[in-house]
Amino acid sequence: MTELTYRASPVPIRDDLAAAHRRAWRRIAEPGTWWEGATRVAIAAETRNAPACDLCKRRKQALSPNAVSGDHDSLGVLPEAVVEVIHRVRTDASRLSESWYRGVLETGLSDGEYVETVGIVATIVAIDRFTHAMGLPTHPLPEPVPGEPTRRRPAGAKPGLAWVPTVAPEDRTDAEPDMYRDRSAANIHRALSLVPDEVVGFFDLDDVQYLPDALLRDFGNEHRDITHAQIELLAARVSAINQCVY
Amino acid sequence: MPHAELLIEFAEAATGDDPDRLARARAAVADTLGPAALVDSAGVAAIFQAVVRIADATGIPLEDYKAEITEDVREELGINDFPSTKA
Repeated sequence: MTELTYRASPVPIRDDLAAAHRRAWRRIAEPGTWWEGATRVAIAAETRNAPACDLCKRRKQALSPNAVSGDHDSLGVLPEAVVEVIHRVRTDASRLSESWYRGVLETGLSDGEYVETVGIVATIVAIDRFTHAMGLPTHPLPEPVPGEPTRRRPAGAKPGLAWVPTVAPEDRTDAEPDMYRDRSAANIHRALSLVPDEVVGFFDLDDVQYLPDALLRDFGNEHRDITHAQIELLAARVSAINQCVY
Repeated sequence: MPHAELLIEFAEAATGDDPDRLARARAAVADTLGPAALVDSAGVAAIFQAVVRIADATGIPLEDYKAEITEDVREELGINDFPSTKA
Protein backbone atom coordinates (compact mmCIF):
# COMPACT_ATOMS: atom_id res chain seq x y z
CA MET A 1 0.00 0.00 0.00
CA THR A 2 1.25 3.50 -0.83
CA GLU A 3 1.68 5.39 2.42
CA LEU A 4 0.12 8.80 2.91
CA THR A 5 2.94 11.35 3.00
CA TYR A 6 3.54 15.07 3.37
CA ARG A 7 7.14 14.93 2.15
CA ALA A 8 6.30 17.13 -0.88
CA SER A 9 4.60 19.82 1.22
CA PRO A 10 6.33 23.20 0.88
CA VAL A 11 5.38 23.89 4.50
CA PRO A 12 6.68 21.33 7.03
CA ILE A 13 3.84 19.28 8.51
CA ARG A 14 4.27 18.21 12.14
CA ASP A 15 5.44 14.60 12.45
CA ASP A 16 2.69 13.72 14.93
CA LEU A 17 0.04 15.08 12.58
CA ALA A 18 1.40 13.23 9.54
CA ALA A 19 1.64 10.02 11.58
CA ALA A 20 -1.97 10.31 12.73
CA HIS A 21 -3.12 10.84 9.15
CA ARG A 22 -1.21 7.70 8.10
CA ARG A 23 -2.89 5.72 10.88
CA ALA A 24 -6.28 7.02 9.80
CA TRP A 25 -5.60 6.04 6.17
CA ARG A 26 -4.66 2.52 7.22
CA ARG A 27 -7.77 2.34 9.39
CA ILE A 28 -10.00 3.41 6.50
CA ALA A 29 -8.59 0.57 4.40
CA GLU A 30 -8.94 -2.19 7.00
CA PRO A 31 -12.08 -4.17 7.85
CA GLY A 32 -14.08 -2.27 10.43
CA THR A 33 -16.79 -3.30 12.85
CA TRP A 34 -19.64 -3.58 10.35
CA TRP A 35 -18.07 -2.84 6.95
CA GLU A 36 -15.33 -4.62 5.00
CA GLY A 37 -12.29 -2.63 3.92
CA ALA A 38 -13.59 -2.30 0.35
CA THR A 39 -16.85 -0.79 1.60
CA ARG A 40 -15.00 1.58 3.92
CA VAL A 41 -12.86 2.84 1.04
CA ALA A 42 -16.00 3.13 -1.12
CA ILE A 43 -17.59 5.26 1.63
CA ALA A 44 -14.48 7.44 1.61
CA ALA A 45 -14.71 7.83 -2.18
CA GLU A 46 -18.43 8.64 -2.01
CA THR A 47 -17.70 11.27 0.66
CA ARG A 48 -15.42 12.99 -1.82
CA ASN A 49 -18.03 12.67 -4.56
CA ALA A 50 -20.92 14.14 -2.53
CA PRO A 51 -20.21 17.88 -3.02
CA ALA A 52 -20.67 17.44 -6.79
CA CYS A 53 -24.11 15.81 -6.41
CA ASP A 54 -26.84 17.84 -8.16
CA LEU A 55 -29.59 16.59 -5.81
CA CYS A 56 -27.53 17.68 -2.79
CA LYS A 57 -26.94 21.10 -4.33
CA ARG A 58 -30.66 21.58 -4.97
CA ARG A 59 -31.54 20.39 -1.47
CA LYS A 60 -28.98 22.75 0.04
CA GLN A 61 -30.67 25.69 -1.71
CA ALA A 62 -34.17 24.63 -0.69
CA LEU A 63 -35.96 25.93 2.38
CA SER A 64 -36.29 22.30 3.47
CA PRO A 65 -34.21 19.41 2.13
CA ASN A 66 -37.38 17.30 2.25
CA ALA A 67 -38.96 19.51 -0.41
CA VAL A 68 -36.59 18.24 -3.09
CA SER A 69 -36.73 14.68 -4.36
CA GLY A 70 -34.57 12.79 -6.83
CA ASP A 71 -31.60 10.48 -7.03
CA HIS A 72 -28.11 11.19 -5.80
CA ASP A 73 -25.27 11.42 -8.31
CA SER A 74 -23.33 8.56 -6.76
CA LEU A 75 -20.35 6.50 -7.82
CA GLY A 76 -22.72 3.53 -8.08
CA VAL A 77 -20.88 1.26 -5.66
CA LEU A 78 -22.86 1.57 -2.43
CA PRO A 79 -26.54 0.97 -1.61
CA GLU A 80 -28.75 4.05 -1.95
CA ALA A 81 -29.36 4.25 1.82
CA VAL A 82 -25.63 4.47 2.50
CA VAL A 83 -25.22 7.07 -0.25
CA GLU A 84 -28.04 9.12 1.30
CA VAL A 85 -26.27 9.08 4.68
CA ILE A 86 -22.89 10.00 3.22
CA HIS A 87 -24.23 12.81 1.03
CA ARG A 88 -26.44 14.36 3.71
CA VAL A 89 -23.75 14.20 6.40
CA ARG A 90 -21.16 15.62 4.03
CA THR A 91 -23.24 18.38 2.44
CA ASP A 92 -26.08 19.41 4.80
CA ALA A 93 -25.43 18.00 8.26
CA SER A 94 -26.95 20.87 10.24
CA ARG A 95 -30.43 20.07 8.85
CA LEU A 96 -30.40 16.37 9.72
CA SER A 97 -33.19 15.29 12.04
CA GLU A 98 -34.04 12.32 14.19
CA SER A 99 -36.96 11.48 11.90
CA TRP A 100 -34.58 11.39 8.92
CA TYR A 101 -32.26 9.09 10.91
CA ARG A 102 -35.16 6.77 11.82
CA GLY A 103 -36.19 6.72 8.17
CA VAL A 104 -32.71 5.66 7.11
CA LEU A 105 -32.83 2.75 9.56
CA GLU A 106 -36.19 1.68 8.13
CA THR A 107 -34.50 1.15 4.77
CA GLY A 108 -32.44 -1.65 6.33
CA LEU A 109 -29.26 0.09 7.42
CA SER A 110 -28.35 -0.90 10.99
CA ASP A 111 -27.50 1.67 13.65
CA GLY A 112 -23.96 0.26 13.84
CA GLU A 113 -23.49 0.56 10.08
CA TYR A 114 -24.82 4.13 10.29
CA VAL A 115 -22.40 5.14 13.05
CA GLU A 116 -19.43 3.53 11.29
CA THR A 117 -20.37 5.38 8.10
CA VAL A 118 -20.51 8.70 9.96
CA GLY A 119 -17.09 7.96 11.45
CA ILE A 120 -15.58 7.35 8.02
CA VAL A 121 -17.16 10.50 6.55
CA ALA A 122 -15.80 12.53 9.48
CA THR A 123 -12.32 11.06 9.05
CA ILE A 124 -12.22 11.90 5.36
CA VAL A 125 -13.53 15.42 6.01
CA ALA A 126 -10.88 16.00 8.70
CA ILE A 127 -8.01 14.99 6.43
CA ASP A 128 -9.29 16.33 3.10
CA ARG A 129 -10.20 19.71 4.58
CA PHE A 130 -6.72 19.89 6.11
CA THR A 131 -5.04 19.41 2.73
CA HIS A 132 -7.57 21.86 1.25
CA ALA A 133 -6.73 24.47 3.89
CA MET A 134 -3.01 23.95 3.32
CA GLY A 135 -3.29 24.10 -0.48
CA LEU A 136 -1.97 20.55 -0.81
CA PRO A 137 -3.20 17.85 -3.19
CA THR A 138 -5.79 15.40 -1.93
CA HIS A 139 -4.27 12.09 -0.87
CA PRO A 140 -5.07 9.09 -3.08
CA LEU A 141 -7.40 6.75 -1.20
CA PRO A 142 -5.80 3.58 0.19
CA GLU A 143 -6.21 0.11 -1.26
CA PRO A 144 -8.72 -1.95 0.75
CA VAL A 145 -7.34 -4.63 3.04
CA PRO A 146 -9.18 -7.97 2.78
CA GLY A 147 -10.85 -9.47 5.83
CA GLU A 148 -14.07 -9.67 7.73
CA PRO A 149 -15.56 -6.98 9.98
CA THR A 150 -15.64 -7.86 13.68
CA ARG A 151 -19.43 -7.35 13.97
CA ARG A 152 -19.03 -6.71 17.70
CA ARG A 153 -21.70 -4.51 19.24
CA PRO A 154 -20.85 -3.12 22.68
CA ALA A 155 -22.95 -4.91 25.28
CA GLY A 156 -23.38 -1.67 27.20
CA ALA A 157 -24.81 0.37 24.32
CA LYS A 158 -28.06 2.06 25.35
CA PRO A 159 -30.54 4.43 23.72
CA GLY A 160 -31.41 7.75 25.26
CA LEU A 161 -28.55 10.22 25.08
CA ALA A 162 -28.60 10.77 21.31
CA TRP A 163 -30.47 9.52 18.25
CA VAL A 164 -27.99 6.65 18.09
CA PRO A 165 -27.35 4.27 21.02
CA THR A 166 -24.22 5.18 22.98
CA VAL A 167 -21.98 3.61 25.60
CA ALA A 168 -21.54 5.45 28.89
CA PRO A 169 -18.08 5.10 30.47
CA GLU A 170 -19.53 3.00 33.29
CA ASP A 171 -21.12 0.61 30.76
CA ARG A 172 -17.96 -0.05 28.76
CA THR A 173 -16.56 -3.57 29.07
CA ASP A 174 -13.09 -5.00 28.48
CA ALA A 175 -14.36 -6.51 25.22
CA GLU A 176 -14.05 -3.04 23.70
CA PRO A 177 -11.08 -0.73 23.27
CA ASP A 178 -10.78 1.81 26.06
CA MET A 179 -12.30 4.64 24.08
CA TYR A 180 -12.50 6.97 27.08
CA ARG A 181 -8.88 6.57 28.16
CA ASP A 182 -7.30 10.01 28.48
CA ARG A 183 -10.53 11.80 27.58
CA SER A 184 -13.71 12.90 29.29
CA ALA A 185 -17.12 11.40 28.74
CA ALA A 186 -18.30 14.59 27.02
CA ASN A 187 -21.15 13.89 24.66
CA ILE A 188 -18.99 14.42 21.57
CA HIS A 189 -16.71 11.61 22.79
CA ARG A 190 -19.74 9.35 23.27
CA ALA A 191 -21.37 10.17 19.92
CA LEU A 192 -19.72 7.32 17.95
CA SER A 193 -19.38 4.92 20.90
CA LEU A 194 -21.71 2.34 19.38
CA VAL A 195 -18.63 1.61 17.23
CA PRO A 196 -15.74 2.06 19.69
CA ASP A 197 -13.03 1.79 17.04
CA GLU A 198 -14.46 4.88 15.35
CA VAL A 199 -14.16 6.81 18.63
CA VAL A 200 -10.55 5.74 19.06
CA GLY A 201 -9.71 6.46 15.43
CA PHE A 202 -11.41 9.82 15.12
CA PHE A 203 -10.08 11.22 18.38
CA ASP A 204 -6.59 10.06 17.43
CA LEU A 205 -6.95 12.71 14.70
CA ASP A 206 -8.63 15.21 17.01
CA ASP A 207 -5.71 14.97 19.47
CA VAL A 208 -3.23 16.20 16.85
CA GLN A 209 -5.40 18.58 14.83
CA TYR A 210 -7.03 20.20 17.90
CA LEU A 211 -5.63 19.28 21.32
CA PRO A 212 -5.57 16.17 23.52
CA ASP A 213 -8.30 16.36 26.14
CA ALA A 214 -5.78 16.64 28.99
CA LEU A 215 -4.31 19.81 27.48
CA LEU A 216 -7.56 21.58 26.68
CA ARG A 217 -7.67 23.43 29.98
CA ASP A 218 -3.92 23.66 30.52
CA PHE A 219 -4.14 27.41 30.15
CA GLY A 220 -0.76 27.97 31.78
CA ASN A 221 1.05 26.46 28.84
CA GLU A 222 0.70 26.65 25.08
CA HIS A 223 1.15 23.44 23.10
CA ARG A 224 0.82 24.76 19.55
CA ASP A 225 2.09 27.70 17.55
CA ILE A 226 -1.27 29.38 18.11
CA THR A 227 -2.69 30.02 21.58
CA HIS A 228 -5.57 28.26 23.33
CA ALA A 229 -7.70 31.34 22.67
CA GLN A 230 -6.80 31.40 18.98
CA ILE A 231 -7.56 27.67 18.67
CA GLU A 232 -10.99 28.18 20.23
CA LEU A 233 -11.65 31.19 17.98
CA LEU A 234 -11.01 29.06 14.89
CA ALA A 235 -13.12 26.21 16.26
CA ALA A 236 -16.01 28.49 17.16
CA ARG A 237 -16.01 30.24 13.78
CA VAL A 238 -16.00 26.94 11.86
CA SER A 239 -18.78 25.56 14.06
CA ALA A 240 -20.87 28.71 13.56
CA ILE A 241 -20.40 28.64 9.78
CA ASN A 242 -21.64 25.06 9.88
CA GLN A 243 -24.54 26.14 12.13
CA CYS A 244 -23.70 23.48 14.68
CA VAL A 245 -25.09 24.12 18.14
CA TYR A 246 -22.87 21.59 19.85
CA MET B 1 -7.00 38.60 21.00
CA PRO B 2 -3.94 38.94 18.78
CA HIS B 3 -4.64 38.38 15.06
CA ALA B 4 -8.29 37.50 15.60
CA GLU B 5 -9.44 38.99 12.29
CA LEU B 6 -6.70 37.16 10.41
CA LEU B 7 -7.74 33.83 11.92
CA ILE B 8 -11.44 34.41 11.40
CA GLU B 9 -10.76 35.13 7.74
CA PHE B 10 -8.69 31.94 7.53
CA ALA B 11 -11.45 29.89 9.21
CA GLU B 12 -14.04 31.24 6.78
CA ALA B 13 -11.82 30.71 3.75
CA ALA B 14 -10.84 27.19 4.84
CA THR B 15 -14.49 26.27 5.33
CA GLY B 16 -15.47 27.61 1.93
CA ASP B 17 -14.42 26.71 -1.57
CA ASP B 18 -13.03 29.94 -3.02
CA PRO B 19 -9.42 29.07 -3.89
CA ASP B 20 -8.26 32.67 -4.35
CA ARG B 21 -9.68 33.77 -0.99
CA LEU B 22 -8.13 30.75 0.71
CA ALA B 23 -4.73 31.35 -0.92
CA ARG B 24 -4.74 34.95 0.35
CA ALA B 25 -5.81 33.89 3.84
CA ARG B 26 -3.21 31.13 3.93
CA ALA B 27 -0.41 33.48 2.89
CA ALA B 28 -1.50 36.04 5.45
CA VAL B 29 -1.39 33.51 8.30
CA ALA B 30 1.97 32.13 7.18
CA ASP B 31 3.50 35.58 6.75
CA THR B 32 2.16 36.96 10.03
CA LEU B 33 2.21 33.99 12.41
CA GLY B 34 4.62 31.62 10.65
CA PRO B 35 4.30 28.32 8.79
CA ALA B 36 3.90 26.21 11.93
CA ALA B 37 0.95 28.35 13.00
CA LEU B 38 -0.56 27.88 9.56
CA VAL B 39 -0.39 24.09 9.99
CA ASP B 40 -1.98 24.33 13.44
CA SER B 41 -4.71 26.65 12.16
CA ALA B 42 -5.47 24.37 9.22
CA GLY B 43 -5.64 21.39 11.55
CA VAL B 44 -8.19 23.05 13.83
CA ALA B 45 -10.31 24.39 10.97
CA ALA B 46 -10.38 20.95 9.34
CA ILE B 47 -11.10 18.85 12.41
CA PHE B 48 -14.02 21.05 13.41
CA GLN B 49 -15.60 20.59 9.98
CA ALA B 50 -15.62 16.91 10.95
CA VAL B 51 -16.65 17.32 14.59
CA VAL B 52 -19.77 19.29 13.65
CA ARG B 53 -20.83 16.49 11.31
CA ILE B 54 -20.45 13.87 14.04
CA ALA B 55 -22.49 16.00 16.43
CA ASP B 56 -25.23 16.74 13.91
CA ALA B 57 -25.43 13.20 12.50
CA THR B 58 -25.71 11.47 15.86
CA GLY B 59 -28.04 13.94 17.55
CA ILE B 60 -25.97 14.38 20.68
CA PRO B 61 -27.31 17.15 22.90
CA LEU B 62 -25.35 19.93 24.49
CA GLU B 63 -24.38 18.89 28.02
CA ASP B 64 -26.68 20.42 30.68
CA TYR B 65 -23.90 22.42 32.31
CA LYS B 66 -22.83 23.85 28.95
CA ALA B 67 -26.40 24.69 28.04
CA GLU B 68 -26.82 26.50 31.36
CA ILE B 69 -23.68 28.62 31.21
CA THR B 70 -24.14 29.52 27.53
CA GLU B 71 -27.85 30.35 27.68
CA ASP B 72 -27.41 34.12 27.30
CA VAL B 73 -24.66 34.00 24.71
CA ARG B 74 -26.53 31.49 22.54
CA GLU B 75 -29.54 33.79 22.50
CA GLU B 76 -27.43 36.88 21.82
CA LEU B 77 -25.54 35.28 18.93
CA GLY B 78 -28.59 33.67 17.34
CA ILE B 79 -27.24 30.15 17.92
CA ASN B 80 -30.66 29.03 19.15
CA ASP B 81 -31.96 29.68 15.63
CA PHE B 82 -29.58 27.16 14.01
CA PRO B 83 -31.48 24.36 12.23
CA SER B 84 -29.94 21.67 14.44
CA THR B 85 -31.71 23.11 17.49
CA LYS B 86 -35.00 22.15 15.87
CA ALA B 87 -34.07 18.59 14.93
